Amino acid sequence: MVNAFKWWWGILLAFGMLAAARFFLPLPFVNEVLIFSIYTIGCSFLLGRVGFISFGQPAYLAFGAYGTAFYLFYVGTNPYVGILAGVACGFICASIVGPLFVRLRSDYFALVNLALAVIVFYMMQKVLAEYTKGDNGLWFLTNIASTPVLNLGRSSEFFIFATLVAIAVWGLYKYLDDTIFGACCLATKINEAKLQFLGYSNYKVRLLAFIVANTTTALAGALYAVYLGSVSPEITAAARAADPVVVTILGGVGTLFGPLVGTLAYTALRDVLSKFIGNWELFVGFILVFIMLAGEKGLWGSAAPWLQKLFSRGKAADAMGGERR
Amino acid sequence: MDPQLLISGVIFGLSMASVYFLMSIGLSLCFGLMRIISLDQLLYYSVGAYLAYTVSVVSGNVWLGVLAGVVVSGMTALVVERFIFRRIYERELTFSMITSFGILIGGVGVIKAIWGVVPRPVRMPTPDLVTIFGTEVPVYRLMVVGIAALVYIGIWLFLNKTIIGKAIRAGIEDVEHVEGLGINVSRLFTITFVIAGALSGLAGGLHAPLIMVDPQMGLEVLAFVFMVVIIGGLGSIKGTLVSSLIVGQVVSIGSLIYAPLALMAPFAIMLLILLVKPTGLYGSTMVKK
Repeated sequence: MVNAFKWWWGILLAFGMLAAARFFLPLPFVNEVLIFSIYTIGCSFLLGRVGFISFGQPAYLAFGAYGTAFYLFYVGTNPYVGILAGVACGFICASIVGPLFVRLRSDYFALVNLALAVIVFYMMQKVLAEYTKGDNGLWFLTNIASTPVLNLGRSSEFFIFATLVAIAVWGLYKYLDDTIFGACCLATKINEAKLQFLGYSNYKVRLLAFIVANTTTALAGALYAVYLGSVSPEITAAARAADPVVVTILGGVGTLFGPLVGTLAYTALRDVLSKFIGNWELFVGFILVFIMLAGEKGLWGSAAPWLQKLFSRGKAADAMGGERR
Repeated sequence: MDPQLLISGVIFGLSMASVYFLMSIGLSLCFGLMRIISLDQLLYYSVGAYLAYTVSVVSGNVWLGVLAGVVVSGMTALVVERFIFRRIYERELTFSMITSFGILIGGVGVIKAIWGVVPRPVRMPTPDLVTIFGTEVPVYRLMVVGIAALVYIGIWLFLNKTIIGKAIRAGIEDVEHVEGLGINVSRLFTITFVIAGALSGLAGGLHAPLIMVDPQMGLEVLAFVFMVVIIGGLGSIKGTLVSSLIVGQVVSIGSLIYAPLALMAPFAIMLLILLVKPTGLYGSTMVKK
């Protein structure tokens, strides 16, 4: 019991703070942070743990979002089933493209992924316009039925649900870090030949990591769909492909809480700055270049050692696992 | 299929192939020599197109605009290389990719700030039509193909006959040995980067009269340029030529048969080729040293 608490307390503390923030920050902002951080953790895992840089995350986001949207628009009304449909859709798509993609070298992987994002954008905008309603997007807010315990149609209750989902996702990734699979992921990034020598298949490790990360991204897409009540091809536009990568690097690559800290900083900056600067891309681009030139440790990556020092004076020193990098 | 439609389709495909070729040559050269993936080539493409627009409106001559586009995008590339890429050559590949994507997105923002978001038309330099096998074909498209062919010959001569070109080719094989021979590799990198940027600018300037110029235009050709580079193999000029011809024809003929094929077919071909040969048609197994 005590061990379980020790294992969980970092995650619970982080999201407890976020839940407390709900009372003095606007609700849409906190919801956006929650969903976006789930979106980013997949990218962070791929980049930091497996060494794959993916500019194609919007494609997987779109798979999840459209999976949910199709269900809620054409078939049923239950948002929970819709989210499951989105996750399943993302899982299936990732399993189809995964075996093709993970065989590639990391440079080709990145190019192919970005190409995939562009293709999915055109598919949703033009090719499947009959079903996706093209640029107008699918609107299904009124189709979402109210559910008994947590009514996802209301954003305050959606917030509770999203927090629970995020805690579960972070628990999963923390667990993955502790397993042999997590170690294998790091090993395939650092030394492929050695991992092979130990009897593990690089291909299988990468494939599994790819599917796990992109199913998480699809989950974020499904949450977006239910939260906004509409999906349009805009979510997979190539101009937004940099967003998860920017946030990942801003927060600190491969750290457990990097995506959360990065998302908070990024969303806050965007909301504040977009009031003064209409030109949002300019800012994203230059912040990315600046962080890269300044050394890519990121916010959490720089703060974690300092925090660890602070906490190691207390008793719960070793419970602050996760940010080992 | 109607033969007249087919001929105009082939010409259209050739002109598209020319634009893709000019753009991907930059990506390919940069990867071959410096081992960076320079996504900001797509920015120089937009810069070239916008300069072609502005100068052609001011002076009335589109060719002057294209020339201005080449010069300005080459200069932009020089500045970017000096201040940003110089610091990151030593880092791993993903690093250059993220940074150059940042430059691309930031540059698109700058373009939006200068020219606004409204798409702009560029006048055709010559509205003439020429008849080939009984099909009327715009002369300008043939000119684009001709210029791309000249550039290919020029690049070939440059790489094979001049000492700088030979140094670049040797650098693609082994940079450290070239440096050991007393050649200033850092200047070699600058020259290559500026050439790549200028060619991308040329592609943008030449493509501008055929399409509308808008801030997102770099991101629109992005998928095609990537497919060309991946199919041909990074770092190979010959592979780039062959694959841009393939992609250009597939896009053009495919869209004649069924419109959505224009984008889907090259993507399918790319996946197929990657299945057989993960480094593309002519790509070597070069890794960053």
